[in-house]
Amino acid sequence: MASAILTDSRLTDRKWIARGEERTSLSRFLLWLSPWAVVLAVGIYAAGLCLYYGLNETNMDNRFAFGLWIFLDLGIIALGAGAFFTGFLVYILKRAELRPILNTAVVVGFICYSGAVAILMIDVGQPLRAWFTFWHPNTHSMLTEVTFCISCYLLVLSLEYIPILLRNRQLRKLPSFLVFEHQLHKLVPVLAGVGTLLSFFHQGSLGGLYGVLRGRPFAFRAGIFIWPSTFFLFILSAIASGPSFLMLVTATVEKVTGRRLVPPDLFRRLGFISGVLLAIYVAAKSIDTLIWLNITSPSVGFAPWQYYIHKPFGTPILFAEIVLLGLVPAFLLTYRKSAARRGWLLSAAALACAGILLNRFVLTVQTLAVPTLPFDEFLQYTPSWQEVASFGGVIAYGVIVYSLSYRYLPLFAAPKGEHTHVSGD
Amino acid sequence: MFPGIDGFYWTVGHVVFLSLFFAVVVTIMTTVASAAWRTVRDFRTKRAIELCWKSDFAELPESDRRCRHELAGKVISRACDNAFDCRHCGKYSQFAVLPATGLATALALNYSDDRLYHRGHTWVKSADDGTFTIGLDELADHLVGNPDSVEMPEVGTELEINQTAWRMKKNGNEIRVRAPLDGTVVGVGGSKEGWFLKIRPRLDPRDPRTLRHLLKGPEVHGWLSRELERLQLQLRAPNTPPALADGGVLMPGLMDAVPEADWNTVLADTFLET
Repeated sequence: MASAILTDSRLTDRKWIARGEERTSLSRFLLWLSPWAVVLAVGIYAAGLCLYYGLNETNMDNRFAFGLWIFLDLGIIALGAGAFFTGFLVYILKRAELRPILNTAVVVGFICYSGAVAILMIDVGQPLRAWFTFWHPNTHSMLTEVTFCISCYLLVLSLEYIPILLRNRQLRKLPSFLVFEHQLHKLVPVLAGVGTLLSFFHQGSLGGLYGVLRGRPFAFRAGIFIWPSTFFLFILSAIASGPSFLMLVTATVEKVTGRRLVPPDLFRRLGFISGVLLAIYVAAKSIDTLIWLNITSPSVGFAPWQYYIHKPFGTPILFAEIVLLGLVPAFLLTYRKSAARRGWLLSAAALACAGILLNRFVLTVQTLAVPTLPFDEFLQYTPSWQEVASFGGVIAYGVIVYSLSYRYLPLFAAPKGEHTHVSGD
Repeated sequence: MFPGIDGFYWTVGHVVFLSLFFAVVVTIMTTVASAAWRTVRDFRTKRAIELCWKSDFAELPESDRRCRHELAGKVISRACDNAFDCRHCGKYSQFAVLPATGLATALALNYSDDRLYHRGHTWVKSADDGTFTIGLDELADHLVGNPDSVEMPEVGTELEINQTAWRMKKNGNEIRVRAPLDGTVVGVGGSKEGWFLKIRPRLDPRDPRTLRHLLKGPEVHGWLSRELERLQLQLRAPNTPPALADGGVLMPGLMDAVPEADWNTVLADTFLET
């Protein structure tokens, strides 16, 4: 009886997998998902506690109002930028060679943004009143722009995800789904354009949010017109790390599945794009840091050394952010000989992503930890288990959604070539 | 968000910000509405079936999308890029005049010259009254044997080419048989002599382009030998290497005889499913 049910499940599962695609057995797949499902369940429970009892379940307080969750939000939104940037390159700049990675970019973007919105709902609290931010917007706040843009962009990503979802082997058997998928897919360039506009502004506004904090000299920056320099640095760093993160995700899936999923040359192209943008970002970040240390910060009464006397936030972090995790990967990603070797390329991509995450961590945590008033002390913050569990829940959610998408959807459908050779050729 | 609601001010920043936001929302909603409207329009104009077939065709493995002229040995290698619609193929006449060089060997299957064949394993035979009879070809018939259930279209049903003409179920697998030509169903028959449909074609059968997309002569032989080769590979015992053909005859009721085979894939390949 049990074996018959198992056989039936296997047959049913096989019918949902695209024809010609080899996937691991259902039992192994479920085994892979089960630990992630446990982490997700614990995360949901922790999130429930935070929503029910409030933010006193966390170790944040009125002084340390941003913690692990905001770092996670900023990090995954930056890494998820590969979605809009790949769409921009393929649909707007017509870089067709990046098409094989487009679907996976959309799924990664969808996971990152939906995860970020979920964690923001817990952080902000009272999700049933979320509509207030739209109905009574404070247009003087960078956060309003972030909320509007992220909500709209998540809608765009969901719409871009629908055609991929409808290409599932069973769903596509419904003619109405298949035709809607076809028609929606034809309009995806419009969505890609809208996504680019929205991403440009919300990535920028997330950075701008820190740059306008006059009461936090560690983050405060001068800028252009209404935008502080961090507005532009966040955009640059996001589009630099997005392609690197896509490379890492794809390489991880290739490693786990033991299959080559994209043309080998694609990694080099993504690496080069990422490397060039990272080099521009590092140059801009260096100039910005020099201006901040020598002009902006002294003008508000802070000597540069004051930021770096509190361990572990010493100057090595600044060095790591700009040189080790910025300049070095930029060089490795663009230098022909290192980019030709897969190991170097992926290591450089990992360094680039780590650099962007470090930047978001520093701006979130160090900004709040460093004292700003004479009677202030250096603040320490350690996330509560509820914060860590919610964090883990979002990561587990991402792994589960990606695993299901990889198994049942055409994430890496290679374009089929057409060749004609006439007799006598 | 709107004038009159608490929090709204007639300032430049407010108006510009909200206008931009509403422009984005309207663009997104218009895009979705446009896709939905086009979908409805495609169903009304019956273009939906053509779109579905083209989408399915694009998903077929390249080995299933070979040009008929390759099957007949007129060209060495050519993948069809026109969804098997030779009626509107710009290259058809260029290749049709070339001599067929394919070798004809005995395949031990009854593929009569008085019929035309569709890649979804159906045959088409004309009758004196201007109608056409459509049935499962010998290979498909050998695979399926006696289906557990059959769902035939009603008389009067309008069929589009490559649309599902009828459905069968066998051992838990659903099989969708594609219509080889457009027309109105004028008769349905079964089951002793095999299930079949009678169709009155929509286009003039005297026009040579009406049936041009169907295989005939040496093309049938080339196509069928490849299909048998595929079947032999797919039905071989697990973990055994491909073996040369032994000259045997295809046995009837293969789905019952080899239940352990990956019928999901075999049936999809045979009936041009994705």
